[in-house]
Amino acid sequence: MSEERMFIEALRRKFKEAPEERYTKFYIYDGWKQSKRKREFVEIAQKIAKERGVPFYNPDLHLGGIPLGQRVLMPYRISGTDIYCEGDDLHFINNAAMQQMWHDIRRTVIVGLDAAHMVLTKRLGKEVTPETINHYLEVLNHALPGAAVVQEHMVETHPGLVADSYVKVFTGDDELADEIDDKFLIDINKEFPKDHAEQLKAAIGKRLYQVCRMPTIVAMTCDGATMSRWAAMQISMSMINAYKLMAGEAAVAEFAFAAKHAELIEMGTLMPWRRARGPNEPGGIPLGYIADICQASRVKPEDPVWVALEVISMSAVLYDQFWFGSYMSGGVGFTQYATCTYTDNILDDFCYYGADYVKKKYGGFAKVKPSWDIIKDIATEVTIYGLEQYEKYPALMETHFGGSQRAAVVAAAAGVSVALATGHATAGVNGWYLSQLLHKEEMGRLGFYGYDCQDQCGSTNSFSWRSDEGLVFNLRGVNYPNYAMNVGHQSAYGGIISAAHGGRGDAWTTNPLIKVAFADRDLKFDFTHPRLCFGKGALREFMPAGERDLIIPPH
Amino acid sequence: MVEYTPQYYPGSSPIAANRRKYINPNYKLEKLRTISDEDLIRILGHRAPGEAYKNVHPPLEEIGEPECPIRELVEPTPGAKAGDRIRYVQFTDSVYFAPLVPYMRAWMGHMRYRGVDIGVLSGRSPLEARERDLEKVAKELIETEIFDPARVGIRGATVHGHALRLDENGLMFDALRRYQFNKATGEVVYVKNQVGVPLDKLISLGKPLPEEELKKRTCEFRVDGIPFRTDLELIQFIQRIHMLRTEAGFNPEKVKNM
Repeated sequence: MSEERMFIEALRRKFKEAPEERYTKFYIYDGWKQSKRKREFVEIAQKIAKERGVPFYNPDLHLGGIPLGQRVLMPYRISGTDIYCEGDDLHFINNAAMQQMWHDIRRTVIVGLDAAHMVLTKRLGKEVTPETINHYLEVLNHALPGAAVVQEHMVETHPGLVADSYVKVFTGDDELADEIDDKFLIDINKEFPKDHAEQLKAAIGKRLYQVCRMPTIVAMTCDGATMSRWAAMQISMSMINAYKLMAGEAAVAEFAFAAKHAELIEMGTLMPWRRARGPNEPGGIPLGYIADICQASRVKPEDPVWVALEVISMSAVLYDQFWFGSYMSGGVGFTQYATCTYTDNILDDFCYYGADYVKKKYGGFAKVKPSWDIIKDIATEVTIYGLEQYEKYPALMETHFGGSQRAAVVAAAAGVSVALATGHATAGVNGWYLSQLLHKEEMGRLGFYGYDCQDQCGSTNSFSWRSDEGLVFNLRGVNYPNYAMNVGHQSAYGGIISAAHGGRGDAWTTNPLIKVAFADRDLKFDFTHPRLCFGKGALREFMPAGERDLIIPPH
Repeated sequence: MVEYTPQYYPGSSPIAANRRKYINPNYKLEKLRTISDEDLIRILGHRAPGEAYKNVHPPLEEIGEPECPIRELVEPTPGAKAGDRIRYVQFTDSVYFAPLVPYMRAWMGHMRYRGVDIGVLSGRSPLEARERDLEKVAKELIETEIFDPARVGIRGATVHGHALRLDENGLMFDALRRYQFNKATGEVVYVKNQVGVPLDKLISLGKPLPEEELKKRTCEFRVDGIPFRTDLELIQFIQRIHMLRTEAGFNPEKVKNM
């Protein structure tokens, strides 16, 4: 690791003074006017206020006339890229790439085809061949976006509005894959490094799965629970069409049941009543799933730190910005809470420090079994390193001006490092909790209540699998009781899982089907490079799906 | 019952020693400055000097409390006896060698004062109490060695600043600029109360402590002061707590040989 810390360049860009300088000037920056983005907000808001006649955005109302920007409103560098943007550009409402990431997840369901094929062959005596499968997929690619296949005199969706909706299939059976038309196939051999492809094919076996992508416009106007219903209806109709069945014969109910239940894999599970949401909403997506949805491991499997950092960025946006920051809290949300993990190369620096420490001391990744000595050594060293950086570089401390930001980033690095060393995600999250206890005593402060409550009792549940007190770490998420208030944590948790499995050279972390389902070049969001995509969104260079230009007046 | 001598805090470093000292209610905090009762009331901003305390219930003597062993055991504070409303004082402690840090502020407060409700966040520590009790506590918190006018802020709202760099005079950032540095006198002067309402009288809280003095009194580890990694006793204590909690939840007695 070079003497120059990875975050120094960003700190130099953020502040006029050297990163080591402890003194600066305040109150001289002309408030919000120092920000190009805020000036744009004001200009547009004034125009709208005049048009609508109702007062609108006015930053001079802030604090009774003391506007934002009494200090430097600093820019942010998207970690792992050279993209700089303003903080406002990372609010999910202002970033089309973030929206599309979420929509691409929400609009996806996986539906196995084997049950339907069994009904066709064993009950109805129909022949199922690669040719019939290809024909069925062509029919479903017509129907899934919202078209009729059996009925007569039906209204349909405008193809221009639902262009991002389609179905593809994948299998672990090379022979069957060879027979599937390329345009319908997610080809595991082509999309994954060879050893990953072998692992995935062995896990999936000869089964055949279809990945259904409903239109983004449906994801935007309906909810996640819509998706399995939408898919099941169109799948059942397409079966009737493709296999020349009687509409309504008893077997059709089997197709619907298979598509809605028996063969359905949703991205997220139902939420309990107190946080009630349907399936395929962020709160029900397990941490291990988000680690698998991220596809960075296909690009640089040899660098599990980079992969974990990409997973962390996605988890931060999905769980902290969308779920906690909006679904749960309401209001403007927790953007700066989340962005600390994927901006300014700070977490990158801490994680690579930990990775180097592990490589030097333990001879590489996943070389040692979890033990108290290992967890204590690595988590303590990485935690102290991180805290010392904040103390050595006042500009770094000011960048993460909230304790929760520092607590997330330092513990994330500790957890990722332990996970890399041991190849064990639960050991990793235990390292996270040791980091929180050390951090609290070192600084005499930590974060908000979520740190001062959940992180003080987290040691006790990290290895627990007892119902309602614990769960296998990969299957936890914000649906897990102790994480239901854990803003700022889930990003790192996704990264810890990724680092454990990446360190071992695994092709996936939790579910091979999820991993393959997102190895899809036709998705709008680039799941191989989420941070770069978020950066493009910040620069307004990302083109999402679901636009309504076709059905609204020219503008 | 076995006689027990509280140890207050582990650690072999001067920082740990300061923490033990501040938490220990038998240690008398050194008085460094004086603030008049009227000026304290002005900065708190809950009532005007001379104004009577507002009540939320009649004095306890008039209520005629029901029989209750807990009520007999616990002597009400003067504010509770009088029926005062509950009010607050809130402090922000800079990361740059402020005497206290939020957790120490809370633990110290709970050990030293009765009838207080203290919160801990990274950038602020609210303390709530009956109003006349609060004023007594706040006076000690401001007049003694655990306060510094440059590195500790009295802030009811808009608290950001604990982690920001210092201004050219060494003062902690405050978006509301409740206090100013008087270059002529070298003193820090409050011009607004704790929620940012302008005061009709400027209130000096004296000169900031010199850096070396702050370093002696602080209970914050820093790499440019006393680094955390030098206090192995404290680190090992924390690691042990973590291991005990992991292996036995909150029943550490179940773990042997650790």
